[in-house]
Amino acid sequence: MSGADALQFVASGLQNGAIYALMALGFTLVFASTGIINFAQGEFFMLGGMLVAAGVAAGVPLGACVIGAVAMTAAIGCLVERLALRPARSAGGLALVIITIGCSMLIKSGARHLFGPDERAVPPFTAGQPLRVAGALIDPQALWVIGLAVAAAAALTAVYRFTKVGLAMRACSISHDAARIVGIDTARVVMLAFGLAGALGALAGAAVAPVTQTAYDVGARMGLKGFAAALLGGLGDPVGAIVGGFALGLLESGAVAFVSGTYKDAVALVVLLAVLVLRPQGIVGRHLGEKL
Amino acid sequence: MSRVRARFGAALVVAAVLAGALGGCGAKQGGGTEGGQADKEPYRIGAVVSLTGTYAGLGVPEKKAIELQRDAVNASGGINGHPVEVIFEDDATDPAKAAAAATKLIDQDGVLAIIGATGTAQTMAMRSEVQRAGVPQVSMAGGSVITDQLDPMVFQTPWPNRIVVPFVLKAIAGKGLAKVALISDSGGYGKDGHAIIAKEAPAAGITIVADETFNPGDTDMSSQLTKIRAAKPDAVLMWNAGKEAALIAKGMKQLGMTQPLFGGPGNGRKEFIQGAGDGAEGFRFAAGKILVPSAYGTDTEAYRVATEFIDSYTQKYGEPPDIFAGHAYDAFLIVVDALKRVEGEPTPAKLRDAIEQTKGLVGVGGTFSYSPTDHNGLTESELVLYRVENGAWVLDTQ
Repeated sequence: MSGADALQFVASGLQNGAIYALMALGFTLVFASTGIINFAQGEFFMLGGMLVAAGVAAGVPLGACVIGAVAMTAAIGCLVERLALRPARSAGGLALVIITIGCSMLIKSGARHLFGPDERAVPPFTAGQPLRVAGALIDPQALWVIGLAVAAAAALTAVYRFTKVGLAMRACSISHDAARIVGIDTARVVMLAFGLAGALGALAGAAVAPVTQTAYDVGARMGLKGFAAALLGGLGDPVGAIVGGFALGLLESGAVAFVSGTYKDAVALVVLLAVLVLRPQGIVGRHLGEKL
Repeated sequence: MSRVRARFGAALVVAAVLAGALGGCGAKQGGGTEGGQADKEPYRIGAVVSLTGTYAGLGVPEKKAIELQRDAVNASGGINGHPVEVIFEDDATDPAKAAAAATKLIDQDGVLAIIGATGTAQTMAMRSEVQRAGVPQVSMAGGSVITDQLDPMVFQTPWPNRIVVPFVLKAIAGKGLAKVALISDSGGYGKDGHAIIAKEAPAAGITIVADETFNPGDTDMSSQLTKIRAAKPDAVLMWNAGKEAALIAKGMKQLGMTQPLFGGPGNGRKEFIQGAGDGAEGFRFAAGKILVPSAYGTDTEAYRVATEFIDSYTQKYGEPPDIFAGHAYDAFLIVVDALKRVEGEPTPAKLRDAIEQTKGLVGVGGTFSYSPTDHNGLTESELVLYRVENGAWVLDTQ
C-alpha cells in the first residue's frame, strides 16, 4: 500500500470517527446524568440531516438550516425527557430504556410520514475541489465534519470543567441524591443532558449529510455505531467518547483496507468485544466500581 | 406510586398507539377498489413491496404503478365483471418480513397471486411459502437466481442479471476498456450480479483487477474506492440497486478518479443523480427502454403501451415512472392478462397455468412469453445503454 493510500484510509477513518465521537458524546452525556442508554440518540442524528434537507428544499439558506436543525433537535431531546421519561422516572432503569426505544420508533415513523421514504441530498457547506494532502484527496466537507466534532467536544469539555452548569452535571453523574441535597435541580440537569445529546446528534447528522445523503431510516445504524464507540472509549466519560469514536472509525477503515468491506462491521464489533472483555471500563474509562 | 405507574403505563400506551398508527398506515392504503363493480366478488391479489429500508426508492414507485393500473382496470369494468383488489404489504427490505408477508397474504387474505417482492433476497425468502400454498408469484427483482433455480410457482418481470451482465460487459469491452474494478453490495442482487460478472468477464475479454464489496446501508465507500484506485483500473463497474450507488459515484469524484463508471438497471433512479451530483455525469448503465421511450421505435406496440403508461403515471403522480414502476406495471399486467384467460372461477392453480401460458404480451420492460422452462422470457434486445448528461438520462450511442 502506498503512503498516499494509507493516508486516504486514515482520512476516511477520521471523518467517520468524528461522527461516531459526536454520537458517543450524546450517549455519554445522558448516561452520566441518568444512568440509562438513550436509544433515541440515532434518531437525533437522522433528524439533523433530514431537517437540513427539508429546509434547503424549502429555500432556507444552508447555514440557517443547520443552526435551525440543531436547535429543533435539541428541543425535541428536551421534550423526550420532559414528556416521556420524567413522568416515569420512578419506574426504574429498564423501563426508561424501553421508553427511549419507543421514542425512537415514534420519531422515525413521524419522519417517514413527514419527509417520505426516499433518500435526500444536501449541498456541501462550502463548495470546492478536494484538497490534496501528501497525495491523499480530502473532501472539504470532511474537514467540516472533523472540525465541528472537535469544536463541539472542546466546547462541551469547557462547559463541563469551567461552568456552574458543568459542575452540576458532574455532580449529578457522581450521585443524584447528593446533588439534590446540595440544592442542584437534578431534573433540569437531566433535561439539559437530553437537549445537548439532541444537539450533538443533530450536528453529526447535518455535518455528514452532504457526504452520505440522508434518509428517515439512517438513525438506527448510526445509533448502534455511536453506542459501540461510547462503550469502546468508556461509557460516561466525555474524553472516552471522543477517543472511542475516532478509534472505531479508524478500525472500520482498517477493516476495509486489510480484510473486506463485507466484514467491516463485524471486524469493528469483534474488536469492541475484545476490548470489553479485557478492559470492561473501556479504553479511557475509570472502573465503574469507583463511581459507585 | 400507583399514580406514577398509571401515568407511565399511559405514556407507553400512547407511544405504542402513535407508533402503530404512524407505521401502519403505509400498509393499509390501497386495499380499496374505487370505480369497481359492486355486484361481483373482487379478485384478490397480494403485493409485497419494499416501502421502507434500502429499497424504498424502488418499492414506492412500484406501489404507485400497481395502484394506477388497478384503478384503470376497475374503471373499465374489472376482469369479466370482477373488480381487482390489491393488498399491499411492506417488507422493509427484509427477507424475513417478506416471508411473513407472504404467509399473511396466503393464509389470511386468501390471495390468488402475489406480486413481489421488490428485492432478490426478499423474493427468494418467499419461495417456501408460495410453494407450500401453490400460489403463483410474479417477482419485480432482477436477480438471476429467481428464475435460474426454476420454480413452477415463480415468475419474473425484470431483465435478470444473466441477461444484463453480458450486455454491460460487452459495452465496456466495446469502449476498449479491459481492466475493470468491481464494487458490489453484499445483498441478494449484488451477490447475484457479482457471481455472474466473475463468470462472464473472461468471455468478454475483461479482467477484474479489484473486487470490493459493501453492505446495504453503508454510508462510506471511500476505503473501498481507495483500494480500487490503487488497482489502476480502466473502468469501474458497480452492481447494486440501492441508495449506496450515489456514494460510489460521488466518492470517485472526491478521490480524483476519472475512470468511466458503469452500472446496471438498479441505478436508473433520479435520486441517484441528485445524490451524486457532478459525480453522476458520464455514468453509463444498462436498462430497459422506458427511460427514453423513443428507443422502442415510435411505430411499435411497445412504444404505444409505454407512452400510455408514462402519460397516465405522470398525470397522476407529477413525475414520469422509472424502470421499477415499469416492472410493477408488467407484473400486474401479466397477472391481469392471465386472470382474463382463466376459464371459470379462478384458483391459484388455474392462474399459475394461465401465467405460464403468457405469449407475446407486450409490456413496458419487454414482450413476455413464458414457458414451462422459462419464467422470465426476456432477451438482451430489450436493453439499451444510457449515459447521464447534464443531470438527465440520454441514450449512449456507441
